[in-house]
Amino acid sequence: MSKVKYFFEQSWLLLVSSIFFGGLLALTNAAWQPRIQQNEIEKFNRLAGAMLREADSFLSLDEPVEIASGKPRPYTVEVKRGVDAGGRTVGWAFLCQGSGFSDKIKLVVAVDGSFETLAGFGVLSSNETPGFGDKITIAGGFFQRQFVGAPAAALDLVKSGEAEAIDDEIVAISGATVSSQAVVTILNTYVVPIQEELKKRGLIE
Amino acid sequence: MDLLQDLLLAFLGIVIVNNLVLTKFLGICPYLGVSGRIDMAFGMGCAVTFVVTLAGTLTWLIDHLLLMPYGLEVMRYVCFILVIAGAVQLVEMYVRKFFPALYESFGIFLPLITTNCAILGLCLFINLWEIDNLLEAVVLSVGAGIGFTLAICIMAGIRENLELADVPGPLRGAPITLITAGLLTLAFMGFAGMI
Amino acid sequence: MANTAPALKKTFLAGLWDENPVLRLLLGMCPTLAVTAAVKPALTMGLSVIFVLTCSNIVVSLMRHLLKPHLRILMFTLTIATFVTIADLFLKAFQPEMSDQLGPYIPLIIVNCIIICRAEACASKNGLVVSIVDALGMGLGFTLTLCVLAGVRELLATGKVFEIPVLWDGFLPWAAMGMPVGAFITLGLLLAGVNAIAQKEN
Repeated sequence: MSKVKYFFEQSWLLLVSSIFFGGLLALTNAAWQPRIQQNEIEKFNRLAGAMLREADSFLSLDEPVEIASGKPRPYTVEVKRGVDAGGRTVGWAFLCQGSGFSDKIKLVVAVDGSFETLAGFGVLSSNETPGFGDKITIAGGFFQRQFVGAPAAALDLVKSGEAEAIDDEIVAISGATVSSQAVVTILNTYVVPIQEELKKRGLIE
Repeated sequence: MDLLQDLLLAFLGIVIVNNLVLTKFLGICPYLGVSGRIDMAFGMGCAVTFVVTLAGTLTWLIDHLLLMPYGLEVMRYVCFILVIAGAVQLVEMYVRKFFPALYESFGIFLPLITTNCAILGLCLFINLWEIDNLLEAVVLSVGAGIGFTLAICIMAGIRENLELADVPGPLRGAPITLITAGLLTLAFMGFAGMI
Repeated sequence: MANTAPALKKTFLAGLWDENPVLRLLLGMCPTLAVTAAVKPALTMGLSVIFVLTCSNIVVSLMRHLLKPHLRILMFTLTIATFVTIADLFLKAFQPEMSDQLGPYIPLIIVNCIIICRAEACASKNGLVVSIVDALGMGLGFTLTLCVLAGVRELLATGKVFEIPVLWDGFLPWAAMGMPVGAFITLGLLLAGVNAIAQKEN
């Protein structure tokens, strides 16, 4: 009995404050969590909306798409359908990721309604070298422009070539071949498997 | 075989390419503070490796078995720091009782480790990188500890020699150490993009 | 420490120069180096630290007579971790861009030595008013140092300060200043400068 008493004597403050702090955190979380989730959705919509200008809103699919990742567990991708005011499908957008030069790169990729040509990509987060690799993040820069209108199929990276020509050859950023390759690899990992899966579900032809 | 290759790459990545001290600025305090002698630095490195392995594994388990299934992510930081503080205490008591010789050599560093940002930092990065299997989390934790030991030992070696150099007055102590560290990060930048 | 106005002023000013946490006590180096690539994240970091430091000093000061010696550090970490989580949620909700940029460095405030050091050295021994003033002084000293460092680095790395271009058009950015090496070397030179001034003062 005295041991129990000793325990409480020593630790009552810890117990009381744990409960107090726990309550405080629960309250803050309850108050701000909806806003945090809203922020994330808005960020995705902003990036995807810039690429699919006709899209009015983005709707989730009934079931997320699973694609092979080369690891035991497949990646789960939340593919969203961009619809215009009349409810017509104008494009698809999804979040994808892969390793870049110095950290993970997260991209939002947009594809047109028939899933035949890319509508471009936007960078959600990356930590590439300033002045070199971070050129992948410049919206409307020469690197990002090469993807707008490129075929939704396997892409190749070349070190020199015609950057203005829109085809399946992507010209690397000079001095940042690894970052450029990372973006191309991420797209190649995701685009074709998602296309196949959507075909299988009969959502596209 | 693929799994082995992935693990090896993850290990090399955290030791060299994404070295916590030199590219993420974690664990800078001990790096600048105690690394005056190479044997002390090695002792500190071993202690950190030990604790970070334990903490990385435990926090991954707690995160995936307790916090995520029940949607308790808001408690993540509180849990992580309590696990680390608890692990440090347990390790200290255990080592003192059963391995007195080991305690003599690195036990004095143990209490300092609770506030070593490398440990909490690694736990947070494991969460941020969305590592989804236990084996990889363990490999990353060990690698982070070894990377820390590597950085702190290189630094200690340089500082032992620096004591013989004639450094201008205002630069003595921390400033010259920081500049040395800066040059060292330049060298480690050469590894970036390898993986 | 007395509760008189001059004494409080002295406590406040100590944090800015004589006991500046970064430049003099070499505490909290990790965020100092990591978030100072630009002024905006540095300022966000500084304000978050002021918030956490003030709140934890208030709580620790209020319960200083109830603390058991061996549970002291545990109580400090628990308090700090709670307020850091609140700061993190706040940034995620109202400054999502900054939250993305700072990433894990916000939760790392928990192990920022400044906060635990002030809880131990000041708040657990002093009354409420002194603790608050001390926290504000220290926090402000930390924030100012971060902003100076970030200002220099952002200026040289991009030619801008607070995302406003200030240098001439043909300025060639020093990319290295935005990378880890720039952080270490700028802070090293800043510390050397402060040492030189301090030596002259004596």
